[in-house]
Amino acid sequence: MDFAGAYSPENLKFLLDGLYITLIVAFAAIVLSFILGCVIGVIRYTKVPVLSPIMFVFVELIRNLPLLLLIFFIRFALPEVGIKMGLITAAIAALTIFEAAMIAEIVRGGLASVDKGQIEAARSSGLSSFQTLWHIVLPQGLRRMVPPLVSQFISLLKDTSLAVVISLPELMHNAQIVIGHGYTYTIPTLILVAVIYFTVNFMLSIVSRRLESKSI
Amino acid sequence: MKMSKLGKLLSVMMVVSLLVLAGCGNKNNSASSDAISKIKEHGKLVVGVKFDTKLFGLKDPASGNVEGFDIDISKAIAKHILGDENAIELKEVTSKTRIPMLNNGEIDMIVATMTITEERKKEVDFSDVYFQAGQSLLVKKGSPITGIQDATKDTTILGSKGSTSIKNIKEKVEGIKVLEFDNYQDAFSALKAGKGDALTTDDAILYGMAAQDPGYEVVGEPFTDEPYGIAMQKGNTDVVKAVNDTLAELKANGEYDKIYEKWIGKAPTK
Repeated sequence: MDFAGAYSPENLKFLLDGLYITLIVAFAAIVLSFILGCVIGVIRYTKVPVLSPIMFVFVELIRNLPLLLLIFFIRFALPEVGIKMGLITAAIAALTIFEAAMIAEIVRGGLASVDKGQIEAARSSGLSSFQTLWHIVLPQGLRRMVPPLVSQFISLLKDTSLAVVISLPELMHNAQIVIGHGYTYTIPTLILVAVIYFTVNFMLSIVSRRLESKSI
Repeated sequence: MKMSKLGKLLSVMMVVSLLVLAGCGNKNNSASSDAISKIKEHGKLVVGVKFDTKLFGLKDPASGNVEGFDIDISKAIAKHILGDENAIELKEVTSKTRIPMLNNGEIDMIVATMTITEERKKEVDFSDVYFQAGQSLLVKKGSPITGIQDATKDTTILGSKGSTSIKNIKEKVEGIKVLEFDNYQDAFSALKAGKGDALTTDDAILYGMAAQDPGYEVVGEPFTDEPYGIAMQKGNTDVVKAVNDTLAELKANGEYDKIYEKWIGKAPTK
């Protein structure tokens, strides 16, 4: 074990470069999958005639596939049919599609947990069904979704490391290159990477607690 | 009943997507003996190399450059085809991504410690052997073992669990003692701790270990055959010829030996 060699300034900077890509990809995928997941979740909840069954199939199809397969599919199968994208875009696309399916279920569950009496009360006081959804169901449902959503976002951030298989230069990928420079770097590098992932994710958890305590 | 309908729908979708995938795999660019003019038109040779393999293709965190035996060979090919060794773009490949990337047309060739096998020859065209790898032995400097011929049933060999190299050495030396480890790092640590007499695997990996610790050396001739080749899309015969010409040229003018010594630390065995 060679801690001093593994933690040289060059290696640390290189690992931080990797963390930067990890955070960019995770942030973009979190924002996009949250938007997409909310839309799909609401469609599933409201039982729109044609759309809802289509979304059901989408959600079931995606969440029952391994993320690794989706990453490979987007990276290597889509270019064959003319859809080409860069590594970062491919990683964001794969994560967004996968996580949106998960988030859609969280959103649908959160909305369904809102007491039916509230909906009846809203409708009988003259709100349209859209107004009921927007003013009554969504605000209450969203609060209940915070803990499972944050768990999902933490998973997403960790899942970015799967993109190592398509050589996305994220944290795990750069760690492998550092390890490639010396067998004695393996354990020190892995320990440091673990600390980095933990720190970032733990901060997400803290933010989540704040959000929860505010909303009650 | 409703569920079974949906189940059917889902299975149909799965089958369709699998068929799409399978269809993609078969699409081979039936061209093209003019692949080389495409490279010239592009003005850059795009080569798939490893970024994490010591001595062959390893990215330097400080400079951001990728360096190694494979890189120097790639530069020589770029010089031969385009007249400029810097007219090159290195793209990272792994053992899993290199063939899809080649057949996607993202890279012109693979120079990434790729062993020539009959199986792979069905998917790509290989150049002549550009690096003759094989299983070998790593020992502490000054060890009485100077090659596979010195190994007896009293020798303890260290290796990686379930690897073919363990199987090979058991066939070569009857009754030899073997200690297996989860990975080469552990095996190397055990060798340093004196738990065995020699460590065995591909010499390309052993040279990487020896480069990290000058107290150890690779001894003897490789006793298995792992020829590394440069892979190109099937049918790109003109590129294969250009690569073979480059290799022949490098070997004739002594440049190959220089590159070999620079990375491996000794002259290639003839």
